[in-house]
Amino acid sequence: MKSQKKFIEGNEAVVDGAIAAGARFYAGYPISPSSEIAEGAARELPRYGGIYIQMEDEISSMAALLGASLAGVKSFTATSSPGFSLMQENLGLGIMSEIPAVIFNVQRSGPSTGAATKPAQADIMQARYGAHGDHSIIALSPSSVQDCYDLTITAFNLAEKYRTPVLFLSDEVIGHLRETVTETEPGPDQIFSRIQPDPDISQKDFRPYGYSSDSVVPMPAVGNRKLLMRTTGSTHDEKGEFSPNPQNIDRVTHYLTNKIEKNAEDITITRTYQLDDAEIAFITFGCSVRSTISAVDILRAEGVRAGMLQLVTIWPMPEKEIRAVLAKAGTVVVPEMNLGQLAGEIRKFNDYGCRILQANRTDGVLITPQQIINTLED
Amino acid sequence: MADYKDYMLFDKLPHTWCAGCGDGIVLQSIAAVFAEMELDKHDICLVSGIGCFGRVDDYLDINCMHVTHGRALPAATGIALANPALHVIVTMGDGDSVTIGGNHLIHCARRNIDLTAIIANNYNYGQTGGQYSGTTPTDSITSTSPYGHIEQEFDICRLAEAAGATYVARATAFNPVQMRKLIRGGIEHKGFSLIECMVQCPTHYGRYNRQGEAADMMKMMNARSIPAEKAKTMSAEELEGRIVTGVIVNKNREDYYTKYKRIIDAQRIREEGGSVNEN
Amino acid sequence: MKTEIVLCGVGGQGLISVGEIIGLAASLFEERLYATMTASYGSETRGTFTKTDVILSDQPIGYPNIDSPDVILCLAQVAYERYKDKFRDDTEVYYDTDMVIPAEGAKGKHFGYAFRTMSIETTGNTQAANTIALGVIIHHRHLLHKEAVMKAFAHRFAGRDQIIAINEKAFGLGLSLE
Repeated sequence: MKSQKKFIEGNEAVVDGAIAAGARFYAGYPISPSSEIAEGAARELPRYGGIYIQMEDEISSMAALLGASLAGVKSFTATSSPGFSLMQENLGLGIMSEIPAVIFNVQRSGPSTGAATKPAQADIMQARYGAHGDHSIIALSPSSVQDCYDLTITAFNLAEKYRTPVLFLSDEVIGHLRETVTETEPGPDQIFSRIQPDPDISQKDFRPYGYSSDSVVPMPAVGNRKLLMRTTGSTHDEKGEFSPNPQNIDRVTHYLTNKIEKNAEDITITRTYQLDDAEIAFITFGCSVRSTISAVDILRAEGVRAGMLQLVTIWPMPEKEIRAVLAKAGTVVVPEMNLGQLAGEIRKFNDYGCRILQANRTDGVLITPQQIINTLED
Repeated sequence: MADYKDYMLFDKLPHTWCAGCGDGIVLQSIAAVFAEMELDKHDICLVSGIGCFGRVDDYLDINCMHVTHGRALPAATGIALANPALHVIVTMGDGDSVTIGGNHLIHCARRNIDLTAIIANNYNYGQTGGQYSGTTPTDSITSTSPYGHIEQEFDICRLAEAAGATYVARATAFNPVQMRKLIRGGIEHKGFSLIECMVQCPTHYGRYNRQGEAADMMKMMNARSIPAEKAKTMSAEELEGRIVTGVIVNKNREDYYTKYKRIIDAQRIREEGGSVNEN
Repeated sequence: MKTEIVLCGVGGQGLISVGEIIGLAASLFEERLYATMTASYGSETRGTFTKTDVILSDQPIGYPNIDSPDVILCLAQVAYERYKDKFRDDTEVYYDTDMVIPAEGAKGKHFGYAFRTMSIETTGNTQAANTIALGVIIHHRHLLHKEAVMKAFAHRFAGRDQIIAINEKAFGLGLSLE
């Protein structure tokens, strides 16, 4: 297995990870602080026989991505928070049509243009609920350049496995951070590609969608020699034909939620740092993880039993792991670069009377270890 | 000899369109061209948007991607680049193509993506009750311009031509023979092709503007038609209110994928790892 | 063992490039040494305040920004002024005597060199001042092996032999200065 050490930015590692995962199509619209991903894709994709196209906006980028993926090519785009807002329309199309794709959102402060080059982690709710209508979503969040490579491969695998767009919630800090990374080329067993139909199946028996269970249905590429494929953003039956009857609308809604929520154990990734005996537990994600690790180190040096739960998967929310922390720790602190989007979710699970504190920062400067520690003294 | 019926899903009929609607004429023309060209269904992908004509994929037995309002062209761009061997057909109404999706149309034409856009222009949003669109003529009455429409309308073909489209043509529902010929010309053309099909909406636009029954509207369309060749000899005043039909633009310009493929061929560093060309 | 290094000056002085060289040398050419680097600069590329935070550690690095540096290189007065109150007694402050007048009573151990002048004398222009300074820092404080830095030049400027030669020469000059 080929392995290479590098000293690069998170945004550069994303491009390497996407290519390693087999992605060969990128459609996007440049926006700070994500543009290095577009530049890397433009430079690298043709070298692997892939295609980069710069679209007229994020709406069309998302549409082109889904078209290319339907034609059988693993596809991705990158944007930052304002562009992510524009992608919501066709993110919904991808969810409803069940077309895999990966969307990298290098979050910045907002609303609107905000402070264009400053970090934030304030798109948690937009990621979950930005596309209208009931659905579930998969979102991963990196806390290192290593994650930007490894988790990118995971993101493509999840997109292919669950036949759905997957979100990668990076942020300006991680996107522009340079650090030591080991890029290990994944073996064939570490790459998941969408399941193909039984080669003997006839057009008459083939169904591009399936709603009878929570499992995912095989997806042939448009243009294959045997089966015609039909996808739509309208509520459809198993043949992919428009079917707006109440019973069908209801089962499609449940299916799109269940295929992710009921597989949460397979999808959720968490990490711990000094958590085993922690009386004070931090629950955090993304760039705030870096500051929290340092805060734990400082507290431990002072004899305080502090530890951290890192949510690598943000959606579906790792409920089981969060509940275990809430049941055990006396105090939970939630550091995040927003006004408490994650803290609110954690409170939903607090059936244990745990004291929950927030460490928030919204001035476009990375939250510091000292600020996190100070929360405990308030 | 293939028949247009081979490309249709007859079990989905009767169709959703109102009695007298011109969309069915365009649907039949598209299926008839597939048959004429004897295209393998697996080699065609139709991308449709939202609106009356956005429902055209419901009745065709080919690969179909039905997308959001106005976004059919960018979705089709992804398909056409990921699999350049496909005949990518994009069906849109006047809302999809030049109103909500107008920006996508001009950029798709400018890039010269190898696909065929077939636009059914009925001057209004039929599916939602006859509101005005980007092609509604000035002074028209619609459900949202009850006192007369004050905006100037787009001429779809001139817009596409100005944006760099390499094949532009217009037909009316009165003349399906010409419509088929022009659609075939578009599919055979390498690069971005656009065929505007003028269709009547007797239910909304026709009723609001007292244009009579469907047949009356079609006859009026025909009376206003002027062949593109003849139009070239006429002044702007003489062309006022006329519908220029036939091939308006037909020129060669290398399409996006062909150009990009040269970059791939020059930059490619290794063979393994999957290629968009191998699909 | 963790060392926090701030490289600051104004845009165009090649400070980000020095940070990259340190990070590359540590990541690729040292045994088990982690590096992080964050840069901040104005929207103009040249002429405004710029700083690069580089952390080297034998353990994975958490918070990547630096508040109070162990080592700081100041190539402009504006940069020195921004940091002078954050120096500790043991902070090593390297500065360009052509560009910076140290504050009276400032904390830290100050080491002043005419990096800019030496660069002009050695290479004919000011562009090598950053690399001479890197040589001085590595000579005083053995953050990296000399060979690792040399390999980092070769890696970073692969195929541009003349640039590699200039950097090696400037770095060698820095190493030789007491």
